[in-house]
Amino acid sequence: MSKINSKRFLSPGKHLMMGNVAMSEGALSAGLNYFGGYPITPSTEVIEHLAVRMPQVGGVCMQMEDELASINSVIGASLVGAKSMTATSGPGLSLMVETISMAANLEVPFVFCDVQRNGPGTGFVTEPHHNDIGLVRFSGNGEFQVIALAPMSCQELFDLTITAFNFAELYRCPVFILSDAYLGHLHEVVTIPPKEKILDRVIQRELPPPDEYIKKFTYKDDNTGKYVIPKPPQMGTDYCPGLLLHQPHNYEGLPTPKPMQFMEAIMDKINKNKDKICITESYKLKDADIIIIAYGLPVRASYRAVDIARKEGFKVGIFRLVTVWPFPDEEVMDVVKDAKAIIVPELNYTGYIAEQVERVTKLEIPIIKIPKVCEFHHPDDILKVIKEVAK
Amino acid sequence: MTRYEIRISGYGGQGVITLSKMIVTASSLYEGLAGTQTEAYSAAARGGKCWAEVVIDLDKDIKMIDYPKALEPYDFLIILSQEAAGDIKLNMVKKELNTGFLIWDNSAIQKFRAVKRIDNSLGIPIQKIAVEKFGNIVFGNTILFGVFTVLSGIFSEDSALETIKKFVPSSTLDKNLEAFELGKQQGLSFLKELKEAKA
Repeated sequence: MSKINSKRFLSPGKHLMMGNVAMSEGALSAGLNYFGGYPITPSTEVIEHLAVRMPQVGGVCMQMEDELASINSVIGASLVGAKSMTATSGPGLSLMVETISMAANLEVPFVFCDVQRNGPGTGFVTEPHHNDIGLVRFSGNGEFQVIALAPMSCQELFDLTITAFNFAELYRCPVFILSDAYLGHLHEVVTIPPKEKILDRVIQRELPPPDEYIKKFTYKDDNTGKYVIPKPPQMGTDYCPGLLLHQPHNYEGLPTPKPMQFMEAIMDKINKNKDKICITESYKLKDADIIIIAYGLPVRASYRAVDIARKEGFKVGIFRLVTVWPFPDEEVMDVVKDAKAIIVPELNYTGYIAEQVERVTKLEIPIIKIPKVCEFHHPDDILKVIKEVAK
Repeated sequence: MTRYEIRISGYGGQGVITLSKMIVTASSLYEGLAGTQTEAYSAAARGGKCWAEVVIDLDKDIKMIDYPKALEPYDFLIILSQEAAGDIKLNMVKKELNTGFLIWDNSAIQKFRAVKRIDNSLGIPIQKIAVEKFGNIVFGNTILFGVFTVLSGIFSEDSALETIKKFVPSSTLDKNLEAFELGKQQGLSFLKELKEAKA
């Protein structure tokens, strides 16, 4: 491991910064070595900021000729041992899905920041809209699992980006950060921890000891029955996958005659580790009979609505999904088992997460969606629904 | 309720966004209060109708603003263009003793119906002073920052001065401090007027 450049880390303490910049700084702290991207509103500040910062830390920030080249370069960089990421918005994501699914197949770790904007197609370029929640879940052909984290403040954009890089290293799957046009441009004070504290958290990209070289991809340990996810292979070293990268592989990286075994490995490495991947938060849930399930910025409007409603005597609480994918089925089931009603405020029309809640609760509890498009839930929007439900 | 809601409207290039950033810097970075700042994006920020919002929580124990956009009625409203003035309604500012200020530029705005009926409203020919006295419209920002510091009282003068040092080029620091002082005096005499009117 080469020496870590101290310019990666901002001076510890408070900094006022934009969401996109906080995310970029989080990535730098997590050890980002390669950024490949193509500017698109509202994610442009990420590449602008990294174009300045990456050369300072001995990394590379590359503006490629388009989105396809960006994501392909990101995967390439990751395969030779660089921690890499890209940032884009919905239209860019839809162009990149082909490579995302290949990366999932090869178990190449990378982080993907999706600063979501209104769609479909071009949409309104400057408005927030959580409409890629479904697309990131199924971002490519074939079956694979992704991890998606939904921050709600600039501080979390910094912190969760480090978590995202760690997840990428540990689980070797596409890891998404679900930002949006509003959060990306929000200015807030971010408290940067001391360098040592950050380094304690960061999982570095390292080669395994040579005696572990034989296993290059996720496999099931015959003795324990658990999935073992080896460190990512690196081209240019002895620890390198086989040549036939485009087929389902066995743990040596060779084409496998057992596609089912391969499928189980890349799906269940996430499913069986949900307890470590699914980050959730509870707010005033203890005696709540009305439960709000939310993620991203609508959580903040919900906090306000709940505080007001509690003062008026309504028993309402919030279950927040920090990890949106994989969906924490068991936890949601446990939280809502005694609920009278569930409210799901989402910044989209479909209600991607409401659908998941419907699936988990088997429609036994009334679920009220509060869809919003391009503008945020006003706390009163949520409060109104709480009062209607409580009747 | 300890939220302090601030909105600044004008057109792009006047320094609407810079002023909002100065306010959030002084209160969040130097005063340690939780705060958020949001701004108009895209072409609006470069010549069109432009706005910026800041929310500060005056309670030091609160770590994060719950709802990041400024909610009506505002504690502090700054209006810098005719177009922005047209959108103002009477119930947009708080009707309380020490808050609910409306500051507007009476050198840039000719007609402003709402202004007469909003108690704590003060017209200052900011752009005129900035150009005549300091030679550049951008000094209007620092004048307004001075007015804001005195009237809102949400951060100390020390925090305000630190902020100015952070934001302005060092070659113009003296001029900016002068502009800040001028704004402060405007604010102080307005506060005095209000006190006398109520006595």
